[in-house]
Amino acid sequence: MTTCSMKTMKRLVTFILALVFAAAAHAQKEQPLPKDLPSYGPQPALQLPDVRASRLDNGLTVWLVAQPGLPKISFSIAVLGGLANDPANRPGMSELLSRTITQGTKTRGAKQIAEEIQAAGGDLNADANRDRTVISTSVLSSKGEAAVSLLADVLENASFPDNEVTLAKSNLSESLREREAQPGFQANRALARVLFGTGPYSVISPTQDSVAQMNAAELRQEYARRFRPDQALLVAVGDFDPARMSALIRDKLAGWKAPATSPATVNAKPAVPAPHSAYFVARPHSVQTTLVLAAFGPLRGDPDYEAAEVANAVYGGTFSSRLVANIREDKGYTYSPGSGVQTLRQAGIVRTQADVRNAVTGASLNEIDYELNRMVTTSPTEEELSRAKRFLLGIEAISLQSRDSVAAELASLWLNGLPPDGISTYGKKVNAATPEDVDAAAKKYWPASRMTIVAVGEEKVIREALAPFGLPVEAVK
Amino acid sequence: MRFLIRFAVRVALLGLAFVAQAQEWKAPTAMKKLANGLVVVVSEDHSAPTFGLCLSYGIGFRLEPEGRTGFAHLFEHMMFEGTPVSPKGVFDRVIEGGGGFNNGDTRYDFTEYIESGPISVLEPMLWLEADRMKALDFSVKNLDNQRNVVEEEVRVNVLNQPYGSFYWLDLPQKAFDTYPNSHNFYGDFKDLDAANIEDVKKFYQQYYVPNNAVLAIVGDVNTADVFAKVEKYLASVPAGPPPKQADFSEPAQKSERRFTETDKLANVPALAIGYRMPPRTSPDAIVGAVTAELLHNGDASILYQALVKEKQVAASVGGGDNWPLGNAFEYNGPTLMTSFIVYPDKVSLNQVLSAYDATIAELAKKGPTREQVERIAAKMRSDWYDNLEIPINRASALSHAVLFEGSFDSVYEIPDRVAKVTPEQVKNFAAKYLVPSNRTIINRVPAPPDKTAATGGAQ
Repeated sequence: MTTCSMKTMKRLVTFILALVFAAAAHAQKEQPLPKDLPSYGPQPALQLPDVRASRLDNGLTVWLVAQPGLPKISFSIAVLGGLANDPANRPGMSELLSRTITQGTKTRGAKQIAEEIQAAGGDLNADANRDRTVISTSVLSSKGEAAVSLLADVLENASFPDNEVTLAKSNLSESLREREAQPGFQANRALARVLFGTGPYSVISPTQDSVAQMNAAELRQEYARRFRPDQALLVAVGDFDPARMSALIRDKLAGWKAPATSPATVNAKPAVPAPHSAYFVARPHSVQTTLVLAAFGPLRGDPDYEAAEVANAVYGGTFSSRLVANIREDKGYTYSPGSGVQTLRQAGIVRTQADVRNAVTGASLNEIDYELNRMVTTSPTEEELSRAKRFLLGIEAISLQSRDSVAAELASLWLNGLPPDGISTYGKKVNAATPEDVDAAAKKYWPASRMTIVAVGEEKVIREALAPFGLPVEAVK
Repeated sequence: MRFLIRFAVRVALLGLAFVAQAQEWKAPTAMKKLANGLVVVVSEDHSAPTFGLCLSYGIGFRLEPEGRTGFAHLFEHMMFEGTPVSPKGVFDRVIEGGGGFNNGDTRYDFTEYIESGPISVLEPMLWLEADRMKALDFSVKNLDNQRNVVEEEVRVNVLNQPYGSFYWLDLPQKAFDTYPNSHNFYGDFKDLDAANIEDVKKFYQQYYVPNNAVLAIVGDVNTADVFAKVEKYLASVPAGPPPKQADFSEPAQKSERRFTETDKLANVPALAIGYRMPPRTSPDAIVGAVTAELLHNGDASILYQALVKEKQVAASVGGGDNWPLGNAFEYNGPTLMTSFIVYPDKVSLNQVLSAYDATIAELAKKGPTREQVERIAAKMRSDWYDNLEIPINRASALSHAVLFEGSFDSVYEIPDRVAKVTPEQVKNFAAKYLVPSNRTIINRVPAPPDKTAATGGAQ
């Protein structure tokens, strides 16, 4: 009824704008580069990290990358299990676990741990997301042994002292209140809820209620269940002798024992497609609307993952992309537009985001809609395609400049079930993606009719902006 | 024309490392000044087939004209809006199509343009940097577009965020008295709206000249080859009249300044405390850098341990010297050491402040321990090496050092200078500088519910 006529109106609006913009875009694309501009040099091959992979008898996977030079070592330990694995009545418990795992072991107090890692030149960071918990640090290479000893102690003997857990709960509660005031956090929390319903991936943070109920005994129990060597990867990247580092890791971590029980698994795979509906989070006093549009996308290991990355770079993943050229560089609606292909272990998400001033909320949605659909109707030009591919490969090369990000990249491959040479496979697949592959990915993932819309801001502004789209509009927290 | 090369000295792990603490690391770095005054710094790093580039101009917030707050940053956006030769869009197409990325940053004392990518895109980027140093498009349409974009930037980072960046945007406005140091660096909307294309032209002619710039390139390059290419593309840019030396000095602060702001978007109260720091050229400056890190760096820091762990009056503590828009080594005028503290409702401002004051007073009375100072020296060395590891960041550090000091030596000397600071020096520094009469405090509290009138200072 109403819905139907609204939809027609939306299509019409989009169509008119499409015509106007197509002319402008066409003109812009045709512009030749300056005649005196030097051409690119020959593109260097990706210089891949030389990973020595091994496995201890207790099942711990170890990936070492020796990089002489700068006297630093980055360590990253990834353990399977994150917020998706938390007990259903304790949503977000992994976040408290990661805040307290560094706060005491059988033989070390919190302050001692903080001081020892600082003396080694590092911080001890523990971070949980939906799939995993990562403990990482970056230290002076002369302090590699001290760092491995400390990491091993935290992995095997964290004690979750009652007083530290009580304090961490109180500070987590404050941190949650602080985040709950941020539009980006509100949007991401709402998006997880509307995409994943009540499934394991619907939770990205604890709630005040769940924090209040958590206790040290539960943390110890979850830690014992989850922190087991056969579910973990240790990556070290930096200035060390690999044989000595191997021996050191064996010495400090061979005694880490997995419990006899088999590791817990969770089925977080979304069963139903994301709803093509609009949701809003009312946020009084907002001077902008925070927009997120998302739909399910490829997994990291899917055959069309790389093609989707190329499509994303054409669409909104770069500064010279269609979306940015339109809503920022042409219209000036937003400072911060962008898009991405996000991968969890069991779900992929393609997303668009922009914070736009209240007055152009509807106009921005219209343009985003138009650009999403243009990915389906209009194949990338040759220049767009080659730019996207070179961009992805170049950014990969840049990310391999730092020990920290090599460690993070390798941990991410392992978490997605990929081998250490995944970086080189990625490069080859990006290069091999044909225009047809990219078109297919765009047609599969980008249609505006697939997208779930989340908007955070003034309710009245959002309702008015969404009205012409004729979608069901629902309030969400 | 000077041509200067210093070669790498890598002492560590060669049997010369007799000092247990020191793990010195330097990278081969060379410097050259072109006839037009542009200084070029090159540091070879063959660990990845990439480069990082930083072109810093000696123009920042402090120099933007009265009535044009926020203009240095708005101007920075105009540098990406095309030239008579390379229309809008070319710059991004070339860098991204070559596999790289670019950005710009406006700070108190410099505006930097940064690029990183595979080595294959370096030469076109040098050409494009030369191109936008020669002339801009000066398009009214593009100015209007970027005015909108910048106002959205202010909304997304200030007006639509809890706390509205008050710890860096409002605090200097209260802590200092003269226009250069105490205006709204992001820009009042009326000033941004008033900016016109003549302003853009004038600013460009005044500050965007090669003799007011330092170009640093770090990566998989050959030094002589880079110098030759820079000569080829950038030597033809004409020098301009050197920008006048400005006076940024502040009248002395006589007493503590305290302010309260209400925040319509925040849920939790927060506090920012800013102490005026010594000039960068003062011998006290390095001690200030170490003191600030002792107080703020990580879970072992003095303030985290005292306020969050022991007295439990704060939920989190952050801060530092010239924080968060830079580090202790890249400012060239009046600067603050800032502490940013988020504290629970159930704690009163007085409770937080007395715990804070007691912590500072103890530092000023007893000083840190030898172990504390050694730990922070290791941490600062380690953090600094992380910074130098990434070519684009090393290029930034080199270019800022040369802009302020005419030399890049400090970039490689900082870890050793830090390691020489003694507990006694920190004690004396705290007693001299970390006193109430030298500080400004803003307490930012959530606005009472259901009231729309508020006086957030970030408007």
